[in-house]
Amino acid sequence: MNDLAAAVAAPLASVDGRTKIKVRDVHFYYNGFHALKGVSMDIPEKQVTAIIGPSGCGKSTLLRIFNRIYAIYPKLEAKGSIELDGENILDPGYSMNRLRSKVGMVFQKPVPFPMTIFENVAYGIRHHEKLSKSDMESRVEQALRSSALWDEVKDKLKQNALGLSGGQQQRLCIARAIALKPEVLLLDEPTSALDPIATSRIEQLVEELKSEFTIVIVTHNMQQAARVSDYTAFMYIGELIEFGNTEKIFTKPDKKQTEDYITGRFG
Amino acid sequence: MQVTSAVPLARDIDRRARADARHDRIFHRVLKFCALLVLATLLGAALSTLWGGREVLFGHGLHFLTSDSWNPVEDDYGALAPIFGTLVTSLIALVIAVPISFGVAIFLTEIAPTWMRGPVSAAIELLAGIPSIIYGMWGLFVFVPFMANIEPALSDTLGNLPLIGKLFQGPPLGLGLLTAGIVLAVMILPFISSVMREVFQTVPTRLKESSYALGSTTWEVLWDIVLPYTRSAVIGGIFLGLGRALGETMAVTFVLGNSYNITASLLMPGTSISSSIANEFNEAVGVHRSALIALGFLLFVVTFVVLLIARLMLHQLAKREGK
Amino acid sequence: MSNAGIYLRRRLVNVIALLFGGFATVLGLIFLVWILWVTISNGLSAIHPRLFTKITAYADQGGLANAIVGSLLMDMMALLICAPIGVLAGTYLAEYANRSKLGASIRFLNDILLSAPSIVMGLFVYVIIVLPMSNLTHGNISFSGFAGAVALALIGLPVIVRTTDEMLQLVPGTLREAALSLGVPQWKLTVQVLIRAASSGILTGVLLALARLAGETAPLLFTAFGNNFMTVHPLDKMASLPVAIYQYTNDPSPAMHSIAWAGALLITLFVLALSLLTRLLFSRKKVSYE
Repeated sequence: MNDLAAAVAAPLASVDGRTKIKVRDVHFYYNGFHALKGVSMDIPEKQVTAIIGPSGCGKSTLLRIFNRIYAIYPKLEAKGSIELDGENILDPGYSMNRLRSKVGMVFQKPVPFPMTIFENVAYGIRHHEKLSKSDMESRVEQALRSSALWDEVKDKLKQNALGLSGGQQQRLCIARAIALKPEVLLLDEPTSALDPIATSRIEQLVEELKSEFTIVIVTHNMQQAARVSDYTAFMYIGELIEFGNTEKIFTKPDKKQTEDYITGRFG
Repeated sequence: MQVTSAVPLARDIDRRARADARHDRIFHRVLKFCALLVLATLLGAALSTLWGGREVLFGHGLHFLTSDSWNPVEDDYGALAPIFGTLVTSLIALVIAVPISFGVAIFLTEIAPTWMRGPVSAAIELLAGIPSIIYGMWGLFVFVPFMANIEPALSDTLGNLPLIGKLFQGPPLGLGLLTAGIVLAVMILPFISSVMREVFQTVPTRLKESSYALGSTTWEVLWDIVLPYTRSAVIGGIFLGLGRALGETMAVTFVLGNSYNITASLLMPGTSISSSIANEFNEAVGVHRSALIALGFLLFVVTFVVLLIARLMLHQLAKREGK
Repeated sequence: MSNAGIYLRRRLVNVIALLFGGFATVLGLIFLVWILWVTISNGLSAIHPRLFTKITAYADQGGLANAIVGSLLMDMMALLICAPIGVLAGTYLAEYANRSKLGASIRFLNDILLSAPSIVMGLFVYVIIVLPMSNLTHGNISFSGFAGAVALALIGLPVIVRTTDEMLQLVPGTLREAALSLGVPQWKLTVQVLIRAASSGILTGVLLALARLAGETAPLLFTAFGNNFMTVHPLDKMASLPVAIYQYTNDPSPAMHSIAWAGALLITLFVLALSLLTRLLFSRKKVSYE
């Protein structure tokens, strides 16, 4: 297929700087359905990469391979290679614990654990590191500050996290993920359940966090991709159509399909 | 960027991963063991009663199933009378409870104003929450005298009918098969009606609306659309009620009269499997006790089959609903 | 028949059917009120401080103190047995075997156990606990509060398995993914996140089980047997409210009947209060995760 060859060729040329995640010819199947058809791309370090495309195009599927969260369901299978700092994470020998401590994830709907705000952030850390009480407190504070939530919750750390607003809950989930000091942060449509004000706070946060983390964000909102990302990948029916500098993708895309989608002619 | 102490070494990570995997396996096994206990309970109940009743079940063989004599003095045991009583009382209960449950279900889904549905269905379901011993006491102290008052009238009217007349002739004791059947009917009513109500609500509105659009009355929609659509689940609900009625002990023990009779009259005292066991077990020794446990085995097998059918029927509708 | 005749007949059938629906409901409610009224009025007039201070050995001059203590003790023991097993088994069904054949068959058979005759559970425990104990101790220990508690636990078990299973299935899948994406192992996720998220629903199941088993008489007759004296030793024969009520109802003396009514009122209030409490808990549960 010509498109496929082009898709493989395009990203390799368009990224400057160090590559954090090297995706090579990734296929994905569920129950026999071919959901990803040979995706290859280089995700640059400490930049924001957005994945866009109409629903069902496989963008969330791709994201969910980056930390192998799909593996908790039966009958799902990924083929190809995804190298994180040169090591293939799809290799069965790659430790799940190691992967999950290096790659954090935030989901569509905010899902705080049924615990206090403090415990929500401390919970994941506790599983990977033994910290003293004061170290833990400063670590939690640091994570909450980084996710721009500290000032709002510092007086109610012992309250149940389910009492927070949707936007606050989502920032708490970001705090929970970055508290593990991951290197990569995956955001799966993180603002789709939030109001515009909460959304703009999250977008601002993404901007701030990219100095420390490699961020991959899946979004169905093209304006959001244009606002927050440095690189953009456009996917369509399981294939990567075009990948490159966000500005270029949104102003003069190479592919007709990309242009159609960006200008709202379908999707 | 990171403090060195905060970055766990690869070796530590691997060790932790192995420990996690081990704990996960242990946890999985513990859970599975507990779930298998559910199976063990069913199997154990069947096997233990089979074992406890082996003397009679295997020693007396078919005689146990076909004889109607129950004589502890001679150690001669036939289960026909208790089986008869169990079946007759459960049948009476169904004959009464099924139409009434259907009525309750149509009231709660089609007739009652919305504000009334919640409280009324909660009240009907409260009937299921009352302990069976309370039904037994109410049956013995209140309902038996009540029945003793109306039974002469029953004999005078229904008793003169051809064919079914015999069922209603007899002394107005108040006790007996009919009374026990009515008490059981009240007990199983909430089970059947709540199943009916729930499945009636699963009928797609568009189906009902298209029938109403043709000018059907509420009753026609119920009878021609709702009932056929939910038929298997409704039968399942009825069998569920039957399973309850067959196995009920305390509600019938006081009002049956505890006599090993097989009579045509529903006004006569009788016995049932469960009430025979409850009444005699603690005084029974030897073969007598074995015969009672054998009765328990019969009861378990019969209710198991009835409940199996009930669940399979209920399952069918659930499957179509895609649940 | 003319068209008008058809319409008239159809309308008539409809009116009769709808009237029958109303009549059936009223009839059901009449029985509810009747039974509750009889229990409350007879029970209230028999309530006396003696009930709580004296034991059944004094017969009509006595009370139900030993039966109340025995019931509380056996109900608690039964919960201690069936709650952990039931919660773990329900967790297995929801989290580990949701799509497997084994899970489906256990779920199916658990529903059958839910309505299995309770008297057979009594016989089961009689054969597997009371008889062997009696044989082992040469008749010194036969019927016991412990055996009664096991029989009651078998009544409560399927209730807890089912509610735990259902409640865990209500927990959104994203919560699982969120915890796993932090590298938390499955067992910790299950115990610390999922069971906690479903805790009020699971508690509802435990209370429902308590309401169910607290009113049971038949399984206790040949396991705990009954005892006219106060005991808290789990290997003694043990009195219970339902069995005491059963025995007093069988007694010809009206004075005994009146004590039985008092006991009946206590049990009914306990069970109905529990079911009210579970309704409250459950309606609260619905709001937490949408």
